[in-house]
Amino acid sequence: MSKESSRQSIVGGALSAVALVGLSVTLLASPNAVQADNDTIVIARDTDFNSLDPNQAWCDSCQIYLTAAYEQLVRVGDDNKTIVPRLAKEWSVSDDGLTYRFVLDERATFSDGTPVEAKDIAFSLMRQKNLKGSPSFFMEGIDSIATPDAGTVDITLSAPDPEFLGKVSAPYAAILNADLLAQHGGVAGEDASTKDTAEAWLQDNSAGSGAYVLESYRPDDELRLVANENYWRDRPQASTIVIREADDAVTQIQMLQSGSADIAMQVDPDTATTVNAEGVVTELVPSANFIYVALSPGAKGMEVPLSPALREAIGHAIDYDGVLEFTLGGAADKMASPIPNGFPGTEGLPMPEQDIEKAKAILKQEGLEDGFSMVAAYPEFNVYGVDLTTMMQKVQQDLAKVGIDLKLEPVTFPVWRERVGGDHIPMTAVFFAPDYYGSGQYTGYFGMAPGITWYNRAGGDEVEGLQNARMVELLDQVRTANADEAVDLYHQMGLEMIKDRVIIPLINPKLVLAYRDGIKGVRYAICCNLPVEELSKE
Amino acid sequence: MTRYVLRRLLAMPLLLLGVATLAFLLGNLVKGDPLSSILNERQMNNPALVEAAKAKWGLDEPIPERYLTYIGNLLQGDLGVSFRTKRPVMRDLMERLPATLELVVSAMLVGCLFGVALGVVAAHWRNGPADHGARLFALIGSSLPVFWSGLIALFVFSVELSWLPGPGRIDASLPPPQSITGFYTIDSLITGDWPALRSALLHLLMPSVILGWTVLGVISRMVRANMLDVLQQDYITTARAKGAAVLRVLLRHALRNALVPTITIIGFAFAYLITGAVLTETVFSWPGIGSYAVAAARALDHPAIIGVTILGAVAFLLANLAADIAYVFANPRISLT
Repeated sequence: MSKESSRQSIVGGALSAVALVGLSVTLLASPNAVQADNDTIVIARDTDFNSLDPNQAWCDSCQIYLTAAYEQLVRVGDDNKTIVPRLAKEWSVSDDGLTYRFVLDERATFSDGTPVEAKDIAFSLMRQKNLKGSPSFFMEGIDSIATPDAGTVDITLSAPDPEFLGKVSAPYAAILNADLLAQHGGVAGEDASTKDTAEAWLQDNSAGSGAYVLESYRPDDELRLVANENYWRDRPQASTIVIREADDAVTQIQMLQSGSADIAMQVDPDTATTVNAEGVVTELVPSANFIYVALSPGAKGMEVPLSPALREAIGHAIDYDGVLEFTLGGAADKMASPIPNGFPGTEGLPMPEQDIEKAKAILKQEGLEDGFSMVAAYPEFNVYGVDLTTMMQKVQQDLAKVGIDLKLEPVTFPVWRERVGGDHIPMTAVFFAPDYYGSGQYTGYFGMAPGITWYNRAGGDEVEGLQNARMVELLDQVRTANADEAVDLYHQMGLEMIKDRVIIPLINPKLVLAYRDGIKGVRYAICCNLPVEELSKE
Repeated sequence: MTRYVLRRLLAMPLLLLGVATLAFLLGNLVKGDPLSSILNERQMNNPALVEAAKAKWGLDEPIPERYLTYIGNLLQGDLGVSFRTKRPVMRDLMERLPATLELVVSAMLVGCLFGVALGVVAAHWRNGPADHGARLFALIGSSLPVFWSGLIALFVFSVELSWLPGPGRIDASLPPPQSITGFYTIDSLITGDWPALRSALLHLLMPSVILGWTVLGVISRMVRANMLDVLQQDYITTARAKGAAVLRVLLRHALRNALVPTITIIGFAFAYLITGAVLTETVFSWPGIGSYAVAAARALDHPAIIGVTILGAVAFLLANLAADIAYVFANPRISLT
């Protein structure tokens, strides 16, 4: 290279560098250059989307999406209890409790402008039932659906179900545009589980009548919703809702403080106390979520079988108030039974208390005054701000006081699933969030009666005396009970579940709502965690 | 050299088949229920739903049969559908790869430029304050865990000083640029989307500096050690004796030879970061390959696990090949046969 060309290269390089620096300075000049648009609301969340197909999805984040882009026949109202109209403007139940008639609101339209008709309801609910996806069980009780005219739907059940309205209010009972879905492989018939191919399309498109439509979805990055141009109710105030992935509470709070997000959804009470930035609001609200430990008398390889007496001793040994303090600094409530506080039948149920002496007395009576060992395997989750390992360490300490040596085994969720359904696990811990307002979802999941999930996980028919005959009777009675009778029956079922002590609820966490000042409409809703259509920005 | 490169490229499919086979077997033999990301926890005891889910995802077939199906599809470029995201794994990877490459390339630029510069400075002023300072700076970069330095950087520069934006690839209020290459910076430049370009550059700055700092430490120490070795050579003394300028001796004579072993490290670091930048990706909510790999492993998402494994293997093979080729350019005495 000659000196001249070398000089030219140097000059050229220098000019390029100056140009690059100039461009960078121009682009990056203003500090905190990025500010959100006035009508875009950004939600920071550790998302758990497992599908955007309403009939396959099952997760907390899914509930937010499914109530933003879709609507159901009815919904849970602002009081988190009352069922209110949505696509159906009115409904009635036949005297035998088997047939529900829904009259559709004639104004309702899908996002493509076509009217919501009875055929769409029939298609959606039958697809939910026949797809054999996670939320299919909600519609298992449907025998047939008739559509006398475009605005009327008659749903006939195979047996009375006092919580059917609650089930059709759940986000998963979303009503889809039948014609549109059929064009993309949607099938609602009995062969839906093998013939339907619409899930792939629904991962990129929505087909509902909700306030928003799906603009884009990039797993582990963001889900972007834009206002539905054809929305038949009052249009939402925010033109765009972005659910942005943020894996942990600290990141979420930092996004909130820096203005990168408007709402943070999974901030634990401890982290919330560190927020001292101006313009950020945090409030604690009660929730219907809870975390529980479960005992399995049928677990293989147990040193000592978990008889009712031993389960009672374990129940007495736990320091319930201490668990709340240890995990969430007290920002939580105790629960009497595996039905959340405030749900039908829970009023007056006795709250658990620690009683070490009673626990020791029972163990002595059982010939186990020297204690025994047992394994506690649980998924290594951090849920509702509670690290399950921290919680189980507290339980371990409590049980040690009565001589029970608890060996903790945190495992991944797939491993936990295999173990809890296989040889069962002597003690485990997991959580539950409601899908609608109603106690049947709990009694039908936790009750010690044949066919119920936790009865099977606890050992089922292989464990003598595990079946609770009174529970079986009550579950049968509640099917034909009216609302008032049901409250009393659920109360009795709550007492039975306390007595069984297979499920021991530990924490009913309060949720932290953290958002920037000026964001309106942030509230916890049983239906969907956060009803985004109510959000607005000042 | 062309024959050498072709030979290496032709051997890749066989190596990848071995990697895919191993990943398939390991993924399918470890304990755990892959249905956990397909069917909700409450329904796992419902036999009808479990059977339907198994049939839909081919989990009801014996492992050898699943393996043959998988390899058959793989040969057609089909990596299967992710249990977790319910989308083709190839699509997931192709969406995330540009995000990771954008981060890793910029981090490597930071790491290489500053690492080499610091290494040269440290070697030239050996045992002086500049050497100590450079070594301390490099040591801090290598020692600080990214999950800590990343969070602190976010707190200082984003929350407290408001100089830089928070996590993510682009501000959430902006729609991402029209996808051409998947690199937000390049796509926004091509389409003239200046707000997106500014946002993408600002978002890229902090994670690439943090990630680059970790690489910088290794590179600067490597360059320093090699430079010290080279600077003792006779030809360096000769060059100096002939009156060559110090900078010319350092950069043209010494650095060029000192770079050869460093290229190996750079190649490995680049390939490693394709799947290994998970902590940076997590802290900065960067939707890249690393975070995808971790999520896939936690969910026992077999198709995604194998897909990431194959991608990681390709990255290592290509990075090694690129490093081999780079040797030739760094030192013309080396020839590839």
